[in-house]
Amino acid sequence: MIKRVLVANRGEIAIRILRGCREMGLSTVAVYSEADAEAPHRAAADQAVCIGPPPSSESYLNITKLIGAAKHTGADAIHPGYGFLAENAAFAQAVIDAGLIFIGPTPAAIESMGDKTNARRMAVAAGVPVVPADEAPPTEPAALTAAAGKVGYPLLIKAAAGGGGKGMRIVRQAVHLIEAFAAAGREALSAFGDGRVFLERYVERPRHVEVQILADHHGNVVHLGERECSIQRRHQKIIEETPSPAVSPAIRRAMTDAALAIARAVNYRNAGTVEFLLAPDDSFYFLEVNTRLQVEHPITELVTGIDLVQAQLRIAQGEPLWLRQEDIVARGHAIECRICAEDPAQQFFPSPGTITRLREPRGPGVRVDSGVAEGFTVPIFYDPMLAKLAVWGETREAARRRMITALRDYVILGCTTAIPFLIDVLEHTAFSEGATQTHFIAEHFPKWENPQRHRHIAAIAAAIEAQRAKQPSAAGTSGPHQVATPWQTLGHWRVGEA
Amino acid sequence: MKISLRDQHGVIELDVRADGDRYVVEIDGHTHEVRLHGEALVVDGHQHTVATARDGQARLVAIGGEVHRFEPHSGAEHTMEHVAAPEVTAPMPGKILQVLVQVGDKVAVGDGLVVLEAMKMETRLSAEAAATVREVRVAAGDMINGGQVLMVLEYGG
Repeated sequence: MIKRVLVANRGEIAIRILRGCREMGLSTVAVYSEADAEAPHRAAADQAVCIGPPPSSESYLNITKLIGAAKHTGADAIHPGYGFLAENAAFAQAVIDAGLIFIGPTPAAIESMGDKTNARRMAVAAGVPVVPADEAPPTEPAALTAAAGKVGYPLLIKAAAGGGGKGMRIVRQAVHLIEAFAAAGREALSAFGDGRVFLERYVERPRHVEVQILADHHGNVVHLGERECSIQRRHQKIIEETPSPAVSPAIRRAMTDAALAIARAVNYRNAGTVEFLLAPDDSFYFLEVNTRLQVEHPITELVTGIDLVQAQLRIAQGEPLWLRQEDIVARGHAIECRICAEDPAQQFFPSPGTITRLREPRGPGVRVDSGVAEGFTVPIFYDPMLAKLAVWGETREAARRRMITALRDYVILGCTTAIPFLIDVLEHTAFSEGATQTHFIAEHFPKWENPQRHRHIAAIAAAIEAQRAKQPSAAGTSGPHQVATPWQTLGHWRVGEA
Repeated sequence: MKISLRDQHGVIELDVRADGDRYVVEIDGHTHEVRLHGEALVVDGHQHTVATARDGQARLVAIGGEVHRFEPHSGAEHTMEHVAAPEVTAPMPGKILQVLVQVGDKVAVGDGLVVLEAMKMETRLSAEAAATVREVRVAAGDMINGGQVLMVLEYGG
């Protein structure tokens, strides 16, 4: 039985996993880099260990330091979260070799699914459809051009070793092939330490639909339905929902059967996700298996009521699966928005900074998985995700309206985020009609500017602040409302020629 | 008190007068009665939940999911908008991975200039219009700050 869990991650996911452990009565250990000394996740555990300098290669990716921290604190299990070492078979093996429990799949499953060319072959063997591809393209330009021609344009260059959009490029014309191939290889090398990339036919206007699975150490596998993650920017998901508005009961049956077949074929254990492309004609193709807890796991938790982190812990300590397939019933609809330090008006460039004001939304069916706090400076070394906002509603429309309301209530100042953009996406007719596909943002928001619905009210707020800064005894500084006002903290504000 | 604020869309002129427990604010030729109640800004009887923060000289205002940034406006305003700046600046702090051009190179719209990495993402900066490269101030491997000038172009080349 697991007694003390070290969470080898940071930010919102570390906090979420640590909470799951605490709820099960387990003792907890957080790790942090020197850049994260003030990070909220550090304080969310019973103990915290500094594992090195800011660059992730010297801290959150440092296997020796992480195992050392586990040994030093007497942890008997390690949860990798997502990203960092979550899909690194060598890490999983090192944890096991150190006599600890790795909360995740076996190193063998991570390795066989982590290599996407191998994953494709296993999917084909399991009778699951895949997209046309060249798994080992030549690097010599003329041969590469010929190989790409065989796969067919448009095509996608993808990292063999990774996910999350890193090392990925779409190529529509042969003339861009060579540069894109080199860039994808470089990005893959820096992100995953493995520069191998492969070519795949690009399915136009697909939906991205994935199936959550849970498998125990005794041969039992169940699925927890699908999630649709079609709304993406930079090839990374930004809005996810379940159920998918495009998945009929017949598609769901076929897709979940395919996911279970792949899980069985690789003798999968613990939580995992099988990703598919769903084409406009309802055909679907296997993409890859994510051998970890997904960023978007909360929406599955909201509709099924099953805590995936606690399920991972129970499976990892050898419990036979307590859920039969017929016990797993999804109710209502859930949507998640990723809240990142990025500027949607500037092609979603990362926008790190210090969070000077933070107010998170709440209310029935509203869940915030946050990794930041007021006063925290978002480090430039890591992923720009600050928090995830997930909502549940009885219907898709109820969930959509609840999400819009929650986003309007969300205040983050100091870091630019995509909150106003997310509101515009959720309010778009194509979204409310469920016409989501991976080109949604490029198609409906080729150019986007910050909305100006409240510009005058905002200017009035700023002007009153300026006026009060100049005349500290002005109206409103006395009386019963004094303590609660946000206007109090303002010092002197020099205003141009008044 | 007359106050001039500037955001990305231009200058807003306001006149703010404190009057007992309320303010009278003139903006764009309209007069509004404004009161403060906790986090609410009550404008002509309509309540708005507002949060503010300071960013150097600027004020950030969050309202209804929007974020507005206002700088104090001094009056001496240049109208530089819609003209591509000759300086290519870093949109964020990070590291230069590759410099794709040299001084004297002629570039066309969309040609890559520099590849940089921040927050684990590789980003390519491209020319906004046909130009000639006049100066290159960074090299591969350099760590850069947000807003730092990376190279200088001469447009129309």
